[in-house]
Amino acid sequence: MSPARKKKTNTEDYMRMYRQMVRIRTFEDNANQLYLSAKMPGLTHMYSGEEAVAVGICDALKTTDKITSTHRGHGHCVAKGAEFKQMFCELLGKEEGYCRGKGGSMHIADQSHGNLGANAIVGGSMGIATGAALSARMLGSDDVTVCFFGDGATAQGLMYEVMNMAALWKLPVIYVCENNGYSEYTATAEIAAGSITARAEAFGIEAHQIDGQDVLGVNALTQKLVERCRKGEGPFFMELMTYRYHGHHVGDINREYYRSKQEERDWKENRDPIIRFRSWLVAEGIATEDEIEAMNAEIKKDAAEAVEYALSAKYPVPSEVDMHVFADVAHVLA
Amino acid sequence: MREITLSQAVNEALAEEMRRDETVFIIGEDVAEAGTPFKVLSGLVEEFGTQRVIDTPISEPGFMGLAVGAAMTGTRPVVDLMFGDFLFLVMDQLCNQAAKIHYMSGGKLNVPLVVRTNLGATRRSAAQHSQSLHALVAHIPGLKVALPSSAYEAKGLMKTAIRDNNPVVIFEDKLMYNDKAPVPEEEYLIPLGEANVLREGSDITLIGTSSMVQVCQKAAGLLAHERISAEVIDPRTIVPLDEAALLKSAKKTSRVIVVDEGHQSFGITGEIASRINEKAFYHLDGPVLRMGAMDVPVPFSPALEDLTVPTPEGVAEKARKLVAGEMIHAA
Amino acid sequence: MPHEVIMPALGMAQDSGLIVAWHKNQGDAVSMGDTLFEVETDKATMEVEAQASGFLNRVSRQAGDDVPVGEVIAVIGDSAEAAPPEQTPKEMPKEMPENIDPAAPEMPKGAEVIMPALGMAQDSGVIVAWHKSPGDAAASSDVLFEVETDKSTVEVEAGHDGYVAALLAEPGDEVPVGDVIAVISATKPETPVQLSRQSQGPSASRSAETPAAAPAPSSEPAASPQVAKPAAMATGDRILVSPKARRLALEQGLDLKGLIEAGIPQPFHVADLEMLRSLPAKTATGPSGTQNVLARVSVTGFSDFFDRFDGQIPTPGAVWAAFAAASLRSAGSRSDIVVRLDTPLLGSSAFFVDPDLVPLSRIAPCEADAPQIVLRDLTASRITGLTLVADDAPVLTVSRDGTDYVLSLDFTEAQLAANAAIRLVEGVAARLGEPLRHLL
Repeated sequence: MSPARKKKTNTEDYMRMYRQMVRIRTFEDNANQLYLSAKMPGLTHMYSGEEAVAVGICDALKTTDKITSTHRGHGHCVAKGAEFKQMFCELLGKEEGYCRGKGGSMHIADQSHGNLGANAIVGGSMGIATGAALSARMLGSDDVTVCFFGDGATAQGLMYEVMNMAALWKLPVIYVCENNGYSEYTATAEIAAGSITARAEAFGIEAHQIDGQDVLGVNALTQKLVERCRKGEGPFFMELMTYRYHGHHVGDINREYYRSKQEERDWKENRDPIIRFRSWLVAEGIATEDEIEAMNAEIKKDAAEAVEYALSAKYPVPSEVDMHVFADVAHVLA
Repeated sequence: MREITLSQAVNEALAEEMRRDETVFIIGEDVAEAGTPFKVLSGLVEEFGTQRVIDTPISEPGFMGLAVGAAMTGTRPVVDLMFGDFLFLVMDQLCNQAAKIHYMSGGKLNVPLVVRTNLGATRRSAAQHSQSLHALVAHIPGLKVALPSSAYEAKGLMKTAIRDNNPVVIFEDKLMYNDKAPVPEEEYLIPLGEANVLREGSDITLIGTSSMVQVCQKAAGLLAHERISAEVIDPRTIVPLDEAALLKSAKKTSRVIVVDEGHQSFGITGEIASRINEKAFYHLDGPVLRMGAMDVPVPFSPALEDLTVPTPEGVAEKARKLVAGEMIHAA
Repeated sequence: MPHEVIMPALGMAQDSGLIVAWHKNQGDAVSMGDTLFEVETDKATMEVEAQASGFLNRVSRQAGDDVPVGEVIAVIGDSAEAAPPEQTPKEMPKEMPENIDPAAPEMPKGAEVIMPALGMAQDSGVIVAWHKSPGDAAASSDVLFEVETDKSTVEVEAGHDGYVAALLAEPGDEVPVGDVIAVISATKPETPVQLSRQSQGPSASRSAETPAAAPAPSSEPAASPQVAKPAAMATGDRILVSPKARRLALEQGLDLKGLIEAGIPQPFHVADLEMLRSLPAKTATGPSGTQNVLARVSVTGFSDFFDRFDGQIPTPGAVWAAFAAASLRSAGSRSDIVVRLDTPLLGSSAFFVDPDLVPLSRIAPCEADAPQIVLRDLTASRITGLTLVADDAPVLTVSRDGTDYVLSLDFTEAQLAANAAIRLVEGVAARLGEPLRHLL
């Protein structure tokens, strides 16, 4: 492959990753506004600041590779290929949402892109992810499963049970710990004794700790691990050091009692994954500021249109309430 | 017709389904070489290998979660939960995840999962290995619950459950594994939601589940000596429940006793009695009575344990009073 | 396009927020990210940032206002606008404390200082001391007053730059959270105000706005349906019987009271109905053996007749008395037939003696007693028919049902033989239907 062609291919990858990160940030900004303007029911949890994690990883996966997500799941959902319109519809409980409005932010799933769903139970998806890896092996496919979870979930017993089994059976699953420093309102150091990567290593699982704000670094490592997983060398564990800009959930607004404004400012100004990648793209001559501005503006417009659409989209009809309790049963209460 | 034990019936059902569909697999503790402590699965690992009869560490939440994930992504796991009492350990994966995923995803994700577990006391296994907890899972929308009462039901219901695209929890009575019953050689399925009338009668209806079906049958025999004609019905599945059959019988005899091995309070008997009350009220010549296990943790001592479950004599006694029109409860 | 500044949603259970202070004023330039105002939530005070750059205009809510989530409270536009017109009282009901007392000084204009929320369970605070006097200059970070909470004494800052224009509570006053306790004006006041809470009258407080508002005065106790308590024992009017037995008894016309009389213990079941069926057959009588004959006849016959001879004949009741007497007589009664006419709705009774033996126009009530028959006139009522206990004499009740008269004769065997009763009712009915026959 000629260097020029290789560069162009890489350019596509880079631009795609940049674009996805901006899409996530834009989505979250809009979702935040929807909540603050009291147009979105229920609660949601912002991914802003962690974009490089979801994008760096998901960009290394095929559509048929699976992911499981968390309550902070919009980023994973977008990164795995979801569209704004159906996502906003789901957040607003509308019929055209990915789950027909029946899951909402905390259970959003996009089966067509391999997203097995966000989970409102902390650590609740770990078993599901490991099981997806088991069935991939059983069905003879080389699909890999990525299990996203936060540093807080390392306190859940389920994690150790499934890592143990994944290691025993060498399942093609990558456990991804998004360590954003806080478990709800408590600093990670206060809820996780010892080392997080050592937990995986105790099961003989190869573990890596990397900077979660460096999308290229994340992507490069993920590509390697995914490749090895497909060959049966899994499972693997990644701990990504990252930061969430917003509170644990929207409405968690007065955060100073658990983290300082200075710390927040530092991450936002000096360690933002999007700003960082943008600088790099411009410095490398891969994109100009104008091109990037144009892309940003286009994404913003897309999002605004999707929000408008979702706001006026229809709700599911009342008769839907007892549908989908059981497969093959149209209405369970008929 | 040949007679086989309940244990053999379950074994056959699993083997047949695993032959028919290579995505079906078994996962649980001591399922492979050991064939489970009750030896129900003996021989399966020899035929299907350790990739499809998977021994796990003692990690109930873990392997239940794995099974949910596997079911969501193209395979059909049968989870072996060694004792029904361990349901408490797996409630999040079973009730928060498996039961709700189809609904929360708007119908886009399926969980074709079977959980095979047991119930039943009087084995001197004490409080944490003797519970009958089917009411807990029956209460959760999205889970189907089957209670085979003999080898015949065990095979037919297991095959249907494996082919069902929803999570189904099957409770076998651990006291019945060696009980024989006629089981056809040819393949057959028992649909979920279809009750079975074992014995027709005209004076009183006895509705029993699982091993309580036999208790009711024996009680009916005792009552027959006193010229009381009892009808015995086995709902076979609690979710879905064959209400129509139960109501039909209630209207025919106008007297009903529901017998179940779950605790008497806040359980299956209350639900069935309530539905009969609602929908057959004007046909009742007496209150619908309930008999469940005593509302106490299961005691170890044989002198005490046997007091806590319904017996044929106990059922017959209650039936006698109901037929005689005695005031069961004070006005 | 001006960007709307709204009161944001803040927490799971919160549907309004109290503006503690504005950090920018009407007409100020603002950049995206600048703190615009502070809002108090259940838990803490939060700074709300501007989401756009421009100039802050149309500020419609002030510090101290409790604003519903989602309401637009200002706008960020491209250029500074003049201050919005004076708010009508309807828009800003909470702005000025209503001062009933005409002698009270006029409240100075300025930023309001309120009693802050101090703790989760606290809804008022006691002012311990003021650190400033009316007329003093105050910087926003100066301590303005001390307030006592459950736990300790807390110093509260002024929160605004300016001059203390009014102090509206005195040390020792207990002030509900959210009430205005001071006003800080931008310029030095000429006549600073110092009041105590008492002097401001009851409407000084803003109790209407706080969530702990007094419940609506028209709080009636929840109307509980007047359900008669079922009798505890199987005595009295309730019969204990299974639903099926009750239904079958009804369908088969069996009276469960027969079982009670036969001494069968309750509760009754279907099997007991067999017993009921085998009890000696009684004619279906009422509690004291009253029997009943019922007849209907169209009113047109009588009303035509009555209209035709209007003025020449007395009241209908009198005529019916005659009909009744005539019928009795043709059934075999001797003379001196006394008829008593009861009109229960008017509370009146009249006696007629042998009314059938005089021309209609001459029927008149007179003194008598011991009637052979009682006529009960219910035609003016809405009662369409009834069966009651017989009196000392048979009672013939005349009532209206649509276009028919309904005649109901209640009698006992002792008073009238069944055949006589039948003939009596038939006779009256026939005369009612064709009154001219009576005359002939």
